[in-house]
Amino acid sequence: MAVSYPGASEQFMTLIRPLASFAIVLAIWSGVALSGAVSDTLFPAPWTVWSAAVEMWNAGTLTSDIAISIERAVIGFAIGASLGVLLGVVTGRTQVFRTLLNPFLTLLRPIPAIALVPVAIVWFGIGEGSKYFVISYTVFLAVWFNTHHGMDFVPEIYIRASRSLGASRLREFLTVVVPAAAPHIVSGLRLGVALALLSLVAAELTGASSGIGYRLQEARQYIRTDRMFALLVMLGVIGALVDYLVHRISRSLVHWEQA
Amino acid sequence: MSAASTIHLEPQAAVRGRVAIRNVEIVFGSGKHRTQALAPVTIDLEPGTFTALIGPSGCGKSTLMNAIAGFVFPSQGRISIDGIDVKGPDPEVGVIFQQYALFPWFTALGNVKFALKRLGLDREEFERRAHEALAEVGLAGQEMKYPGQLSGGMKQRVAIARTFSGAPKVMLMDEPFGALDAQTRISMHSLLMRIWQAHRATVLFITHDVDEALVLADRVHVMSRAPGRIIKTFDIAHQRPRSAADFDMEQMRMRGEIHRLLRPPEE
Repeated sequence: MAVSYPGASEQFMTLIRPLASFAIVLAIWSGVALSGAVSDTLFPAPWTVWSAAVEMWNAGTLTSDIAISIERAVIGFAIGASLGVLLGVVTGRTQVFRTLLNPFLTLLRPIPAIALVPVAIVWFGIGEGSKYFVISYTVFLAVWFNTHHGMDFVPEIYIRASRSLGASRLREFLTVVVPAAAPHIVSGLRLGVALALLSLVAAELTGASSGIGYRLQEARQYIRTDRMFALLVMLGVIGALVDYLVHRISRSLVHWEQA
Repeated sequence: MSAASTIHLEPQAAVRGRVAIRNVEIVFGSGKHRTQALAPVTIDLEPGTFTALIGPSGCGKSTLMNAIAGFVFPSQGRISIDGIDVKGPDPEVGVIFQQYALFPWFTALGNVKFALKRLGLDREEFERRAHEALAEVGLAGQEMKYPGQLSGGMKQRVAIARTFSGAPKVMLMDEPFGALDAQTRISMHSLLMRIWQAHRATVLFITHDVDEALVLADRVHVMSRAPGRIIKTFDIAHQRPRSAADFDMEQMRMRGEIHRLLRPPEE
């Protein structure tokens, strides 16, 4: 297999490309703000957003909001992902579930996280429980679905090879079936991470008093669009960083799977 | 080496790996979806011999092999190995697949070790045997490579090392070199002959390449188009190593006859 090493100029380009893209967006944004075509209250200029971010940072709310939001996402993800993998491993290798599960999943999947908020409040109140529920349910569904399919579609030839090489069922399960399904499981987990962040804000609408979602709501009451923008940018940055990290980890986990 | 290459074998080797296929018919589906994949077939594979099964695609030759491997079950008839009926996959019956079926999450060495596990060797012996198996197929130094980093020919070498390391008494090979280029295929033929003569398993080799069958086998069964039956059997007593480039008159005659048998009927 040929491996090509990027040359110095190519490396420079991969670094410069995102920077250039941000610079252009920022320039257009600044231009619109400077032209005076839109009110700064409705569409704040980049520097207004920046000072709002600095203001929240100095007040200490920015870091504490991010910390509590990430904590919720992590706990919700951990619960949902572990249940999803455990259940998927069982249902994906059980004939009954293989035939019965799909129609049910087809019905559950289109339900958006935000639609669960009223149910979550009734079941778990407005404490942390309802946040964990909304996030973990969303994560769970994606991870379960992907794990189930990964386990279901393990190529028959691996099973045949394993059995004709004298592996016990347990060894076959642990060293053939699970690794064969691993690329699906990992992509389910990656989707789960993205969904944890997406459903986080919905979860924080269940009457939170901290977190990025709460702070967005609060900013709406005072019509602080500058703060809203700062928080939205923060969400984007966190999401992108986490996805990059998860992508790197998942590539080393299923290193044999070439795109 | 060539002394052992005829179908007459030393007595102690003769007790292992006798495959008896008796009136085996395989049918898939039922009702109007019923298809006869294999018409009743009766053949014997003598211990330690190399038998090739050749036939047009879809004739049921792979289905027959899958039945001997215990992957599918005959609708009627019986298959036994050394007098014991085949009831499912058995490590005594090794299988080499055209698609290699290596586990991509294990290294070449890891794949061989997967097969060696069942022998319950001590740590030192286990490691030694795994390395030896790869060295035997010319892959010393490639132990830590993953299948994704190996060429098709090298993958099939790992698969051969993996299957033979488990010491099967019967070896089933389903068009193992079908995906390889002609040059690689020829070197795989001599490799396979060398390994087979060292390990002495009973081999059933499925192919649609007439020259391949004539170069490798002691006996060639030709199958009809679907549903497959055995229409002719050729015994080949020629000394090994053989090469398609040096076929004598008799081999040429067999080659011509097999080609005529395989030719689709004129419309």
